[in-house]
Amino acid sequence: MRFTKCILAVLMLTATVTGCGRQSENQPMAAERSLFAMNTYMTFTAYGEDAAAALEKAAVRIQEVEALWSVTDEESEIYRANHSGGQTVSVSDETAKLISFALEMAQKTDGALDPTIYPVLAAWGFTTDSKQVPSDEQLDELLRNVDYSRILLEGESLTVPEGMELDMGAVGKGYAADLATEILLEHNVSSAIISLGGNIQAVGSRPDGSDWRIGIRAPWEDGNLGVLEISDAAVVTSGGYENYFETQDGDIYWHILDPSTGRPADSGLQAVTIIGKEGRLCDALSTALFVMGAERAEEYWRENGGFDMLLVTYQNEIIITEGIADSFSLNDGRTETIRVIAA
Amino acid sequence: MRKIWPFMLVGAVLLLGIAGSALVLQRPDTNIVEIVQDGNVLHRLNLAETEDQIIEVEYDGRINTIEISDHRIHMLEAECPDKTCVGMGWLDSAAPIVCLPNHLVIQFSDSDALDAAAG
Repeated sequence: MRFTKCILAVLMLTATVTGCGRQSENQPMAAERSLFAMNTYMTFTAYGEDAAAALEKAAVRIQEVEALWSVTDEESEIYRANHSGGQTVSVSDETAKLISFALEMAQKTDGALDPTIYPVLAAWGFTTDSKQVPSDEQLDELLRNVDYSRILLEGESLTVPEGMELDMGAVGKGYAADLATEILLEHNVSSAIISLGGNIQAVGSRPDGSDWRIGIRAPWEDGNLGVLEISDAAVVTSGGYENYFETQDGDIYWHILDPSTGRPADSGLQAVTIIGKEGRLCDALSTALFVMGAERAEEYWRENGGFDMLLVTYQNEIIITEGIADSFSLNDGRTETIRVIAA
Repeated sequence: MRKIWPFMLVGAVLLLGIAGSALVLQRPDTNIVEIVQDGNVLHRLNLAETEDQIIEVEYDGRINTIEISDHRIHMLEAECPDKTCVGMGWLDSAAPIVCLPNHLVIQFSDSDALDAAAG
């Protein structure tokens, strides 16, 4: 008798427990992971059988490349090159590829992106907590050592001239996101969204096949400007509001510097969002086009293509390229005007 | 001597299960409903705003007839063998109305939520 009761109890328990599960057959299991790396908070969500293992590997990979590319870690390859007194050092294949990409983008953007700006950025205190306005003399002095064309990269041999410093800050996160994406794809993850401190990379679509919905932050205020619906794309935004300081006189200085002046880029843009296949390209261009301003950014887009962009000007205008015009919807109550540009 | 505790235990577990189900399946905080076939969203409707109407969806020559009435949605008719979806009545919880033979799902959408934020 007791035995049958036991069986009955187990059966009922099973029925009860399975009864309150959500529709799980159609929804693949989600795996989530987060970590602090590259001076930012990263979150990953992936769907698929092998998703958890894939995310773990991606996280490890990001920590590996951070250790190679950190500008402050004395063990990193970049640090060694920067403090070699102008000697040639050999770097890993991955680091060589990243530097090669950064130098190529510097050239293509005519120096609007310059990976040797670091000493100037440090003088402004953006790399530390003691932000300050450097003197004109100090900036002039430092700018003499800002010139990407003097960095020598031959194969895996890197030479950073004495007094100069390389910094991968404007491309490293985008590149790391690409590496993470590669790992997810190798593990047959067909649906994932990763955020490297606001650098978004979408693998595939949502598990139900619809586009991912990405909020585009409103510059200088809380909340979002609107929503961008995308699949299989990277979305990277740069804006002065992300890191800035205000002096006692009420002047505001932000972290995106114009390499030609050594001062915060004041090109009339509040924010630049780049949408493309590769995180590295989006990362590099979001900074470079912010420095260029709307007019030069439009020219660059027409000449080079291969990406979409959303520019927010200080005239409260949103300039958006035709490829994503239909994918962007402005939030209710926003007063910005939208201008769509065609190639 | 009859033991009563096993019945009490089973009863307690059952009650807990029912409470859990109610919690999980309560109606989501949205009026957005999706009609999805094979993973594709065919219709997205706001029940709070949409007018009474009939929507027909075809799958492999078979028709499902969906009715929206008084800001509610249900499967009115289905050309499928079992008609389970018709029997599920009005959509009133997070549990979707599913027509398995015709690969059709009616569900509340939480897809107004953002997946990530850039900037």
